[in-house]
Amino acid sequence: MSAYIMCGTSGGGLPIFSRKKGNAEALPFSVIGSLNGIHMFGKPLGIEVLETLTDDYAVSWREFEDSVIIIGAASGCSIEVLNRLLEDVFNAVVLVVGIKEIKMQRNIERLKRELRVCLPVIDRLLDSLDCGDSNKYSSDIVGFVETILCPENHLIQIVLESFTECVDSLFCCVLIEGKIAVGTESWWSLHPDELRLLSFLAVSENTTDSKDIPVYLPYKSLTVAFRFVVCTLIPDVQICCLCGPKPTLTEIEHSATQCFKNSTDILTAAAQCLPRNFPLTYHIDSNILGLLLINITTKKYMISQIPQQSSKKTNIGNSHRLDILRTFFYRAVMNNLIQSDKQDQSNPSVNSEICENIGIETYWCSEFHKCHALKINDNILCVLYNSAVPTHALNAITEKSFKQLISDKQVCW
Amino acid sequence: MESQSLLGSHNSTLNSSGSTATVTDEEWTEDSSSSSYSDSDSTIPEWEPYVDDFTGELLYIECHPFVVQNKDTKNKTALPEPLTRNNLRRSTRGKFLKLLRRRDSKRKSKKNQKSVDINETNTSKVKFQELHEGEEKDVMLEIDAENRHNLSSDKSLAESLLGLIVSTLSDGNRVMIAGFSYDSKARQERNIKIGDWLKTINNIEVNVQNLDDILQKFINRDDVLLKLQRVAGIEVTKDPPINELNIESDFVRELLNSKLDEEQSLSQILCNHPVGVVYIDTESLKESNQNCEDVIYCFPKPFQKNTLVTSRGMFITINHLLFDLTKSRPKVSTIKCNGQRANVVFTNIDKKLFLLMLPENKITQKEILLLNNEIIRLLKFSYEHLDKCFTSEKYLQQVDNLFFKLFARTLSNGLWSTTEQFGAMDNSDAKNNSPQFEHAMPVAPSLCLPYEAQVQIDDALSELEASDYRDWNEEPLDCQRLFTVLGSALFHAGYLLATHFIQDDLVDVYCFCKQQGLFHLSKTEPVKSLVLWKEVFPSSCNVSQNTTIKIPDGKRYLLVVESGKDILAVIMEAAGCTEPPEENLGPDAFYVEEAQATLAHIQELGLSELSERILSLEPHPQIVRPLSRNNKRKSDLLTFSRSSLNSGKDLPKKNEVTSILKKRSADTNLVGPSISSNSLQDDSCDGQSEGSGSQGGYSEISDDSRKNFRRDLKYDSNDDGSDTDEYGEGSHVSIASFDVSEMRQYILSEIEEFQPPQLTAGSENVLYHFVQLDINQGILLCPPESRQQTTAYNLIINNFRRISLEIHFLFQNTIRFKNMPPQYIAKSVINKSLVAIKEHGILFECPFLDDQENKKYWVLGRLFYTSRPKELYVCFQDGIPQNLIEIAFKINMRSVT
Repeated sequence: MSAYIMCGTSGGGLPIFSRKKGNAEALPFSVIGSLNGIHMFGKPLGIEVLETLTDDYAVSWREFEDSVIIIGAASGCSIEVLNRLLEDVFNAVVLVVGIKEIKMQRNIERLKRELRVCLPVIDRLLDSLDCGDSNKYSSDIVGFVETILCPENHLIQIVLESFTECVDSLFCCVLIEGKIAVGTESWWSLHPDELRLLSFLAVSENTTDSKDIPVYLPYKSLTVAFRFVVCTLIPDVQICCLCGPKPTLTEIEHSATQCFKNSTDILTAAAQCLPRNFPLTYHIDSNILGLLLINITTKKYMISQIPQQSSKKTNIGNSHRLDILRTFFYRAVMNNLIQSDKQDQSNPSVNSEICENIGIETYWCSEFHKCHALKINDNILCVLYNSAVPTHALNAITEKSFKQLISDKQVCW
Repeated sequence: MESQSLLGSHNSTLNSSGSTATVTDEEWTEDSSSSSYSDSDSTIPEWEPYVDDFTGELLYIECHPFVVQNKDTKNKTALPEPLTRNNLRRSTRGKFLKLLRRRDSKRKSKKNQKSVDINETNTSKVKFQELHEGEEKDVMLEIDAENRHNLSSDKSLAESLLGLIVSTLSDGNRVMIAGFSYDSKARQERNIKIGDWLKTINNIEVNVQNLDDILQKFINRDDVLLKLQRVAGIEVTKDPPINELNIESDFVRELLNSKLDEEQSLSQILCNHPVGVVYIDTESLKESNQNCEDVIYCFPKPFQKNTLVTSRGMFITINHLLFDLTKSRPKVSTIKCNGQRANVVFTNIDKKLFLLMLPENKITQKEILLLNNEIIRLLKFSYEHLDKCFTSEKYLQQVDNLFFKLFARTLSNGLWSTTEQFGAMDNSDAKNNSPQFEHAMPVAPSLCLPYEAQVQIDDALSELEASDYRDWNEEPLDCQRLFTVLGSALFHAGYLLATHFIQDDLVDVYCFCKQQGLFHLSKTEPVKSLVLWKEVFPSSCNVSQNTTIKIPDGKRYLLVVESGKDILAVIMEAAGCTEPPEENLGPDAFYVEEAQATLAHIQELGLSELSERILSLEPHPQIVRPLSRNNKRKSDLLTFSRSSLNSGKDLPKKNEVTSILKKRSADTNLVGPSISSNSLQDDSCDGQSEGSGSQGGYSEISDDSRKNFRRDLKYDSNDDGSDTDEYGEGSHVSIASFDVSEMRQYILSEIEEFQPPQLTAGSENVLYHFVQLDINQGILLCPPESRQQTTAYNLIINNFRRISLEIHFLFQNTIRFKNMPPQYIAKSVINKSLVAIKEHGILFECPFLDDQENKKYWVLGRLFYTSRPKELYVCFQDGIPQNLIEIAFKINMRSVT
């Protein structure tokens, strides 16, 4: 129910920032120092401590670029997820200050000041840990970028293309409550981690004003900064773009109003899709409590908690459903159905064996619910059922829903 | 004795006419009765000299023949107890016993004659190409002064004086070094190698006939000069018994030898790997600690080379810091040590910390957690408390040896390599281990026998446990018993057949035998006889763990006797109503014999044969084998070639064997499916039970193994046959003898009805593998490991194990949550989505499977939580939906009946 992240310089052990999540107390300085010390102590002995598991917690030490160390401790989640999170945290730092600043470390105080922008992003990143408690952002999944499947997406796409020409940038997208509704082809060519961080950056702090933030891209552009411009079209709907020094923010705002002034109805309708995140017109089996649709090549997903049509008594609270789906994804799907893209260099033979053993379907049954995941080509659909559904029927229901979701061209999946 | 038996056998070969042979027999019996049987009531057991003077511990192993003709006779004469004790069990009257023994030995000498005959005709064993240019060596060997005057009856002169076990070269005349006796000087002598030809002693040429005479002459010398010649170029012909035996006895020697030879160099090798254990007193850790005073124990040694010792500060900090931070104890850390990932497991014992480190490519994080539990359990079982085993000087060598074996085994991918092999091992070997699952769990794999067989075993064990000796003695026993039996268990080739232990003790004993290599021994090289005696501290009697039950103050001992593939383990207690326990008590011959007699009785009933047959059913009747793509065709070919073989050259050989096996083959028939033709029937059964359906070169290799198998059978049947024979002779008194042979027939015929139900739903069996873990009972149910390995099978099984282990750890959340006191639930940080999971399944696609439409298979795990948790894991072909509850029910039904 709690998670800590702390970042320090790996040489001197100077703390750079420390964040926490949940109802835990902030870590005293001495603890931060000791955690850092454990890592430093091993170095001259040729030992690098990587991770430690306790009954409830996973603790991980990650050193980046030989200059900063990020230590994470979290309860309830698996070590793989925590490790992935630490990478994201580092990427968030790179996003704001660039790789040079981190490596040079001329002035820690200045670095700290500059990082203030990305602290909300890091806090948001912490929400993607499945600590088992429900929060507002139980829908965040490490390593994947969230989308929304509005029936109006194909219309918005057309408007977006014209906006692209106006601002002379290939990297544009429309966000609905931080979820990508549509993006240009180039936008999708960015690394999923970058997409994720930019989405979080767009919705951090306030969503009403326009933003114009210089960003480095952790994968695409480590040293040269771009301008990340966000304008709010209507509440909950934002348009973002990455661009060079020109055009100015006002010019972009102008282009946005010009392009979208005739499409406000479409945007309002699209925003109606929340919180279901997929068209109301789709018929979904009444036993289904939640859905998670994932594309494993583009690393995007759509997660939905389906509001119960009838007000039957439900075993599981609505936000808890997302938690279950997410935990199911982390524990059962991520390891077994998705081939890890990062080959572990230290033991390649393990991987080659696992390659031949990639699963295509998985489920788990608990006392209160059942989860089922099915992989068809590049897509995986995870479904949360109530426990009354017989296990052998899961496959058929999932497959039916699956077809409905991916066959629709209008939603731009 | 050896000399006499050698002499005897020699004579009998020379004089094949009956009369002369009887004369020598007669002489021989006279002699032997005067030497070894003079004390008719208590024969000095052959293991007696090996009992450790200080601790009373014993590990005695007598191997199966080195070279068939000689060792055979030697064993027969040296090992009277399985036979005589059977008699003793029924009547301890000395006179009769003497009579029996006399007959007994007569019978054996006849047998000697027979076996020699066989060997003379059978020349295709091993040929030493005797190149005379083989290097000659002169070796000065000290004569063992202690043994000079108390020549043991069951040792040859050469063994007693020189510590050499001798046998003959293939010509049956020249003397060959066949082995070394335990802790002899000759063993250390590098110039003497097994297989060497012993040419002269003090320049007098020796052969089998004159060896003992010559030795007699030098009995009072201090040392003798041996001239040995390397018999180079061992040509291994069809079956290589000597060659193999030499390797095997290496393993046995290693088991017996608790000291680490070449410790220095081996420690050096170990230090290059991220392996180690350390036991630290966290209280006495100080800043100015230069000499590692806080380190109570570490391995490999010395301190400076041990990674864990040098970096222990880090782990101590992790240990207490994370506990402060998270309120939960660290379990395992992953570190990168010289570029290699390794896992370090934490075990907190009071204020002390035990760390175990092993490389991740050899053992995964989850596996090492299980292994660590097993090690801790083993240490507690063997030494009561970790403090005791690491501080007490007398145990240190044993513990060093234990860890050395453990590390060597882990680094060489689970193989039981000997020290020498490990030293020669390619250390850059970064190959990964195949995943472990069921055999890493604290459960004993058990074999379900038919009902009657089970009853017989239980009966025999109960009798042993009761130790009710009143009826066996004419005079009433007026002394208190020495021990009460706490429980016993019977294993066959590592599979549990029956247990009368409390669950925890069973797991203790199982772990002990497993880690000590006893199961490995019984699986790979069935020994003639093994006796192990050791003070132990079973969990059920651990005072610190059981506070509610009052445990009598006393000592407990583990007695393990092994014969062939069967192991009988007994825990005996010297406390309460027994004689007061002594310090460092050695084994009592009477109890050892009782256990051996029980084991012999069980074997006589045909139970070990029955288990062997059940184990060798290939594939196990409840599972099917996933076929590889090219395999189906091959197996078709195989059956074809088999049938053609049957019609062809195989037949005459068959007949020859059946003549010896008459009774046996009738039994074997019951195993296989009934085929109309009689001769075919036999063959198919053989093929099945030996499990040598090796693909491809069937004709050459399997023919060979077949011959081997038959020889084994022959040997066996001789043995068994003579047992029953003997019973026939002595049946005037033994009431049970009728029952025994009848019961044997009955039990062996029961396998006919051994038709376990198909576990999966649907008309076809689609089950590849199943594992039922009953950790509470310490019982594992799974089909025996297959000897037929195919790519598809290995892939599927390895994947099954990997996934099952994951699922097992997933279920731990559920079990933990259920056991959590309600007041803690609110405070607990456990992931609430994981607390009620009871079933998890994954569907895989295997590219190697043959089936065109269906290459998919499920791996499913289910947790049953009724009164206590029980886990079931299955692997089956996709297609028909399976209900795990149903499968579990069927599995358990069989284990009950």
